[in-house]
Amino acid sequence: MELSSDIVRIVSALSTWWWMILGLMFLLYIALDGADLGAGIFALFSKDEEERGAIMASMAGFWDGNETWLVVAGGVLFGAFPLVYGSAFNFLMIPLMLALWGIISRAVAFEFHIHARSSKRLWGWAFAIGSLVAPFFAGVSLGAVLQGFPMKSGIAMSGIADRGFTTPVMHYAGGAMDFLTPFSIWTGFGAVIAAGLAGGLFLCARFLPGDVIHERAKSWTNLFSYLALIAIVITLVWSYAIFPWAAAKWTGPNWWIWAIWFVIVLFFAFKSMTNHSMQHDFIALLWGEGVVVLLWAAMWATMFPYIVPGTWTVQAASNPANSMAVFTLFMTGFVPVMIMYNWYQIWVFRGRFTKKSVYGAH
Amino acid sequence: MIIENSLPVLLSRLDFAWITSMHILWTPMTIGMSWLLFFMELAWLKSGDERWYKLNRFFEKIFIINFGAGVATGVTMEMAFGILYGPFSQAVGPFFGNILGFETITAFMYEAGFIGLMVFGWGKISKGMHLFATFNVGISSSLSAMWILVANSWMQTPDGVVLKDGLFQVTNWWHAIINDNFVWGFPHMWVATVELALFVFASVSAWFVLKNRNADLFIKLLKPTLLALLIVAPLQIYIGDSAGKDVADTQPTSLAAMEGHFHTYLPDGKPNTSWNLIAIPDVEAGKNLFSIQIPHVLSLLETHTWNGVVKGMDQYPVNERPDVWVPFYAFRVMVAIGFALFFVAIWGNWLRMRGKMNASELRKHPWFLRAVVFSGFLPFLAIWGGWWVREIGRQPWVVFGMMRTYEGVSNMGVTQEIVWFVGYIIFELVVWSGAWYFFTRVIQKGVNDIPHSDTLFQHHSEDHDAAQAGGGHVAPTFAHKPMMHSDR
Ligand code: HDD
Ligand code: HEM
Ligand code: HEM
Repeated sequence: MELSSDIVRIVSALSTWWWMILGLMFLLYIALDGADLGAGIFALFSKDEEERGAIMASMAGFWDGNETWLVVAGGVLFGAFPLVYGSAFNFLMIPLMLALWGIISRAVAFEFHIHARSSKRLWGWAFAIGSLVAPFFAGVSLGAVLQGFPMKSGIAMSGIADRGFTTPVMHYAGGAMDFLTPFSIWTGFGAVIAAGLAGGLFLCARFLPGDVIHERAKSWTNLFSYLALIAIVITLVWSYAIFPWAAAKWTGPNWWIWAIWFVIVLFFAFKSMTNHSMQHDFIALLWGEGVVVLLWAAMWATMFPYIVPGTWTVQAASNPANSMAVFTLFMTGFVPVMIMYNWYQIWVFRGRFTKKSVYGAH
Repeated sequence: MIIENSLPVLLSRLDFAWITSMHILWTPMTIGMSWLLFFMELAWLKSGDERWYKLNRFFEKIFIINFGAGVATGVTMEMAFGILYGPFSQAVGPFFGNILGFETITAFMYEAGFIGLMVFGWGKISKGMHLFATFNVGISSSLSAMWILVANSWMQTPDGVVLKDGLFQVTNWWHAIINDNFVWGFPHMWVATVELALFVFASVSAWFVLKNRNADLFIKLLKPTLLALLIVAPLQIYIGDSAGKDVADTQPTSLAAMEGHFHTYLPDGKPNTSWNLIAIPDVEAGKNLFSIQIPHVLSLLETHTWNGVVKGMDQYPVNERPDVWVPFYAFRVMVAIGFALFFVAIWGNWLRMRGKMNASELRKHPWFLRAVVFSGFLPFLAIWGGWWVREIGRQPWVVFGMMRTYEGVSNMGVTQEIVWFVGYIIFELVVWSGAWYFFTRVIQKGVNDIPHSDTLFQHHSEDHDAAQAGGGHVAPTFAHKPMMHSDR
């Protein structure tokens, strides 16, 4: 009795722990890749291929490292919460596919833009459009997950005779288009706005003041700061209206924590904007990323104890005790080490560019 | 016969087959080539011979293109499990999910941390650090293959688990990880990557000799490559044979399919020991409509005895038998390629022993050069063949003996699947043709425009200010174009 209740406690602690790591991985992805996706959205409005090339080069060496966090988030999801992995991906098959194509067309474009001569324009566009599509559908997926999805046990695929196959595991039971709702479309736009802002801040920090790209990125960032503030407010109000689990927390007994949190978010946003206008570009980028961190943490906290609201709780979705334990033993040492050498890589490639130094040298 | 095989199930299978088959075109080259690049870089640093540097930078371009395609198709794979095989992913989560999670973290992340340094780091980090980065890319991509093979082998021989509450719960991690099939499966896969990369090197080199471009440079590479193949090619055959014996023990239905072996005993009651060279299998009827047989070879291969009993299809219920056509012929293609490649390696070394390994002599043997060029494609085909044998031989199980394929497929309609499938056919073909286009361009361009390594590193010794560590206002070094010097 004693022992088994201990085990239950340890497992629930472990799954909560992995749920937080999962949140961290998604956050790292959003915070890091958000910036280069946003820079890609910016490149959609570039007038020439030289500028797009310069923007692409400004992230050479680490954009792929950034994307790895997404793969890692996927790995953690499969490793710790396979029940969510197997059902949510089924639910999200269309938006994930499209987001993936966005990411890939970017990746391929990166590769080929360097080597191409006559097809440079094509790859430049593939890069820019991919950069728009990926955050949009990632945002749609996020919104859809917040809304939850239907499940059933037994055989998942309809239309095949059940040959006595039984299982207590719940599978996704909805249709392919269930993900599409006004709210999920809105979160798609929200993600694009957020990425656009991060991209603007990134480009300001990455190019030398006075450079053409720097100048344009400055006014772009101003515009997107306001868009982002509006988007945050709309999302909060909308979520409050349609998600009882969110409303219950935000205006529950601990409402003041959420209120203080919100004030802190506003403060970070304010700092980012003032630093930006003083051309402390890197500092502005950091404050901006701070906003992302705060909002993401707030969302994750609002969802607890659910990992998919109304559908999977963290406990119900996690692996059995011994798998969790092995995963933990194996992984906990690795994550910090990985963060370290990925940081080293960013460090090696730091520094500022001009449009010319990147491109003119050919 | 897979009686549960309704159209939606079949589509999921075909779809997954397509996606994995396209992924496996790229990744073995990444794995094998990263080691060869490491050795070339080492040779350069040890000997100071600029030619190794040139070759390294040249093949690195091919490596990068290949790597990009590997990532593109790999991310697809990561999603494909959850999307096409949701219930499978859920059920196997406690083991398989963990393993893929280990893989992502210990291999992909690891690799991503160093590949940027390897590709873009020339001239920004020291030579020693660069060599270290290349080495780590080799280790991490091989680790990746190891974990993936753990996962896939476990699907073939699911040791160390029980099926409880609808989940495959692990009772013994060591047994599950070092499962029967893994013991030979992983070495076979890993050696395949090395063999493939060696043949790609040899093939490109032979092409340059054939075209009489930089012939001496590429012969310098051709020699050690062919020598290494003299060891690797037979090793691969030996490991493959051991893998086959393991399959005979653990997955007799798969073996029966791969050998077209229907009848365990002959009509007179003696064991059926014949090996089919060619056959027209008829799974419905449970026999071969036609076959060319060699007596005793099957028993020799699988039991190492003259008359050993090898279980045929007739020992198993009809609804546990896999399809035969694909495993049977895919296996024969792989084996034929295995021996053909060995033959090419012998041929090359024989020419070398007779002192023919120089530009003027080799050009008198254009057929040898052509054979080597052609051999560059064969390992890809062998790898496809091997996987098809393995995956189709496992049917109708997705986890052998424990979970049927139809139990593992996601909730999807036929239209949905077709849309997805067509999308991925186009997608993978675009990746493929893009990569192919740039491979040919890189090869056409050759090695002459690769600048001397001094252009990269001479600044280093003189002024090591902070900027040289990579900071400051530096131009990025593109993969094919070191530019450190250009804006100073
Ligand atoms: C360069 C590639 C290559 C070459 C030359 C060979 N193989 Fe292979 N083979 C593979 C690449 C490969 C592979 C793609 O790597 C597979 C698929 C899965 C695996 O573990 O290895 C494989 C699988 C595989 C299997 C199936 C294992 C299973 O179902 O679990 C057998 C029995 C063999 N091989 C046997 C051979 C023999 C007898 C060969 C030579 C005479 C041979 N292979 C050459
Ligand atoms: C190591 C990683 C791999 C894993 C974990 C894996 C797993 C799977 C799964 C889950 C299925 C679908 C279920 C089934 O049909 O049994 C499948 C089918 C298939 N896979 Fe793989 N696979 C891997 C690698 C490959 C590779 C590299 C190839 C080919 C080059 C391949 C070829 C196929 C084929 C042809 C099928 C369809 C088999 C059939 O349904 O008849 N697989 N695999
Ligand atoms: C069936 C399961 C598989 C899954 C889920 C999978 C998934 C992936 C993913 C997500 C990536 C891209 C990671 C990145 O961003 O670097 C990738 C790349 C890679 N995969 Fe796979 N893969 C599978 C099968 C295989 C097989 C059978 C092999 C080889 C034996 C392999 C070897 C690699 C390697 C070495 C890379 C990194 C190098 C490259 O991208 O070229 N994978 N895979």
